[in-house]
Formats: sequence, C-alpha cells, structure tokens
Amino acid sequence: MTATVSQPPAGGRVLAGSVGVAVAAVVLWEIGSHLSFVIPPPLDTARALAADLTDALFLVNLRETMLAATAAFLLSAAIGGLIGLGLGLSRVARLLLSPIVTAMNGVPKIVLYPILLPVFHLGYGSKIVMGVLFGLFPVLINVMTGVQQIPSVYWRLARSVRAGRWQTLRHILLPAIRGPLLTGVRLAISLSLVGVVLSEFFATKYGLGRVVLRSYSAGDYPNMMGTILLLIAVSFVLSLLLWRMERRVR
Amino acid sequence: MTGISIHELGVAFSAKDGRVIAVDGVTQEVPERGFVSIVGPSGCGKSTLLSVIAGLYAPTSGHVEVGGRRVTGPDRAVGVMFQEDSTLPWKTVLENVRFPLQVAKVPKSEQLTRAQQAIDLVGLGGFERRHPAELSGGMRQRVALARTLAMRPSVMLMDEPFAALDQQTRLLLGAEVLRIWRETHQTVLFVTHDISEAILLSQQVWVMSYRPGRIIDVVDVDLPEDRDASVVATPAFNALQNRVWEVLQAESMRGFAQENAVPASGVPAS
Ligand SMILES: Nc1ncnc2c1ncn2[C@@H]1O[C@H](COP(=O)(O)OP(=O)(O)OP(=O)(O)O)[C@@H](O)[C@H]1O
Ligand SMILES: [Mg+2]
Repeated sequence: MTATVSQPPAGGRVLAGSVGVAVAAVVLWEIGSHLSFVIPPPLDTARALAADLTDALFLVNLRETMLAATAAFLLSAAIGGLIGLGLGLSRVARLLLSPIVTAMNGVPKIVLYPILLPVFHLGYGSKIVMGVLFGLFPVLINVMTGVQQIPSVYWRLARSVRAGRWQTLRHILLPAIRGPLLTGVRLAISLSLVGVVLSEFFATKYGLGRVVLRSYSAGDYPNMMGTILLLIAVSFVLSLLLWRMERRVR
Repeated sequence: MTGISIHELGVAFSAKDGRVIAVDGVTQEVPERGFVSIVGPSGCGKSTLLSVIAGLYAPTSGHVEVGGRRVTGPDRAVGVMFQEDSTLPWKTVLENVRFPLQVAKVPKSEQLTRAQQAIDLVGLGGFERRHPAELSGGMRQRVALARTLAMRPSVMLMDEPFAALDQQTRLLLGAEVLRIWRETHQTVLFVTHDISEAILLSQQVWVMSYRPGRIIDVVDVDLPEDRDASVVATPAFNALQNRVWEVLQAESMRGFAQENAVPASGVPAS
C-alpha cells in the first residue's frame, strides 16, 4: 500500500473544491433563472437579501424565527436526550415505548399542525412545538441506539470498581455516547429550524416562513429566494460546525 | 486472610434452546497469596465462574467467600481484568489508570502517585498522555493491568487477559504478571486457554469441563517458584503439560461433538 493513496485530501484542496462547487452552483442558478420566471437571477437575489438585512421589519421576522428555532432546538435536545437515555437504559421501557416512537417518527409531522394550532395558539407556542416535533426524534433515536451500543464490558468495569450512578454517567455513559449525541444534535438543529419555518407558512404574524410566503404571493421572487438562501446558510453553517466537532470525538 | 473458597457453586442461564448450565457443583480453594489458573474449552463457563467470584453475577446455587467473607457484590479489594479490551477510549492512559481511584474518592495527589507507580510497574512510563487508540493491543492490556493494580487489590481475577495477543507478547506479559505477583503477593485466579501459560505462571491448574462446567482435574505445579520461560524445555514441564493436555483434549472433543450434535439424534458422542 502506498502512503499517498490513503492520505486525506489537504485542507487547501478541500477549500478549492468547495469554492468550485459554489461557483458551479451559481452558474447553474444563473442559467436556471433564464429558463423559469420563478427563479430570480443570483445578482437580484443578493441585492434583495442585502436590502432585507437592513430592513427593520425583516430583522424582527428573522429574530422571531431564530428565537423560536433556538428554543425548539434546545427543547428537542433536552427532551430527546432524556427520553433516549431512558429508552437506551431500560429494556422494559424500550419494549413498551419503542413502537410508539417508531410510529410517531413515521408520521409526517406537518399533518399534526391543525391539532397543535388550537392547543398552542398562534405565535411562539405552535411554532416551537412543531420545531420540537421535527428535532426531537433524531436526538432520541441516536441517543437510544448509542446507549445500547455501549460495550457491556464498560458496564462491568463500572460495577467492578463500584462506581455510583453519577460516576458511571460522567465517566462511562456520557463520553461513550458523545458521537451519536452530536449526530442527533446536528440533525436536530436544521430540523427544528425546518419545523419552525414550516409552521410559519401556515398561521403566524412574524417569521421568515411568513416572509417567504408573502414574497411568493406578491411575486417578489428575489426576496423569496434571498430569504430561503439565508435559512439554508444558517442551517448549513451550524451543521458544519457540529459535524467538525463530531469528527474530533474519539 | 484473602484466599478464595468456592462452595458447591452452580450457575445456570435460561437460553432460547433451554437451560444452559454454565457452572456446576464447583468446590475449590485458592489459598491466600496463591496463583491458580483455570483452563478449559471455549464456552465452558470460565468467565462466568470468575464473574461470580467478582460479585458481578449472583450464582444460582452455592456461594463464594473471599477472605472469609461471603461475596454479595463487587469489592474494591478484588481487582478484575476482563477478557475484552476494557480501556476507555476517551481517556488517556493516565486517566484510565486513575479511574478506579477517582471513583473510590482517593485524594487527588495520591491518585496521581499511585497511578504513576502502576504505570511504571507495567512498563508504560512515557505513554501517560496517549489514548488507547494510539496503543497496540498488548499495551492496552498493560493499561488494564495497571488500572487493576493501582487499586492495590489483595485478590486479582484475570480473565484471559492476553488471549488476543500474539505468542511473544503473551509470554512477555505473562513473565511481567509473574514478576509483579512476586512483588505484591496477591491472590491470583487466572483464566487462560493456553496450557503452557497456565503451567508456567501458576502453582495449581484447574481443568474445567464443557457443559456442565465442572472442575474435572486439579494439577499441582511442582516446578521451582522462581522459574522463568526456560522451564518449558524441562521434562517435568512436559509431563505436566501432557497430563493437562490429555484431560483437556478428551473434554474439547466431547464439547465439540455436543455443540455440533443434531438435536434429534439425542446421542451424546462421548
Ligand atoms: N448472560 C448469559 N446469558 C445466557 N447464556 C450465557 C450468558 N453468559 C454466558 N452464557 C453461556 O454460558 C456458557 C459459559 O460462558 P462463559 O463466557 O463463561 O464461557 P468461557 O469459558 O469464558 O468461554 P471463552 O473461553 O470462550 O471465553 C456459554 O455456553 C455461554 O453461552
Ligand atoms: Mg470467557
């Protein structure tokens, strides 16, 4: 085996590759914009986005969405983490609850919206709940399988040195599931944002989902596209950061 | 007094194909500061026996006493080395060795000196800050050994600690264990499937049978206390090895036949 074959690509090459892909995407986008009137040209979109980012009302909408998404994400991570831990640790709980989890995970969450709306009302409540419904399951399922996959010898080691509950949690359990936990959290970040924006399409006063829909109805495609791109960029950057953290985990 | 006495011990598991009797009617003694090895075919119940002595499983019948006290659960004076790699990959060598001391709430400065001593004892000085992934299998088992030694247990239960290693490394680590045992004089119960390893290291060898797991032969190793690997060339060593081998071979064949028997025939091929 030659050493060069299995060597990972150098940082410079990765960067060059990413820039290349980005340039190609913009070129395709420009071509696409001439084929369909719904797709605005890249330059118009960039201008619209720049204008939006200095617009007070747009910033209110942005803040609204980001606050709701952050809350939804934190709740997803906390609730999903705890339920996942419980299910991973207890075979009985798994037997009883995993059919429900599987079924719930399979339901297209958006069909629950009409049920959520009267319960949690317009505004933050229903958005956050929808965000949690989207973000919860990846954390839950990853943590649950992560706990189950901990080698049994680690548990026996903990017991043989008489480690207590907290000591086992701190020294064995949490470090052992860091990888799957981060994977779940990474997925939850973008999915809770999706859940929030999606619920903003339906009924809400403020939020970027609302902006996208309003721009669409008004035929303001550059504005619509700019907002969508902003959402993609936010979720992409956050996911990328977590993905890098994930790779560093032993 | 920290000998081990095993009284009429039985362990059964309920499996899909009925009850598996892993350990059956074992009554044996390991004298204080003695070094006893268990050899037996794969799946005969060696790990199960050790786990019960370690207090990790409750037996189905009978009981075990360590140092005259009945075993009801794990004991920090009883060190266990597992068959599988049990080093924690997210901890460095030093952190791994410190782990049981940390759990036992030993003062921090003492944790560090005792961990360092144990690391030096197994010859891992200089590797304190490495992670297990950066070490060879043999070095990882040394980490596990150091971790067990750091607690200064009076009893060591070692379950095929070097089984996954090559012959040379195994011999080397075996000699290391013997050297450490001569220094610390713990009571050691050592499981292996390597007959020469068992004879080389221990004062007594127990031969275990396959399903039900019984001790079918006890062989006293009357070789010089301060022997080294050169003893394998002596006739006395050969005689011992042949004796254990004969018992074990018959047993392994029976186990193999039993494992591969067609259930319908119902005729044990012994
Ligand atoms: N938790 C368990 N549940 C059911 N059966 C078990 C369990 N643990 C062990 N056994 C069975 O008990 C028997 C003895 O297992 P044990 O691990 O003690 O064997 P062993 O002598 O250590 O084998 P090896 O040399 O392969 O490590 C085996 O047949 C195994 O399948
Ligand atoms: Mg075993």
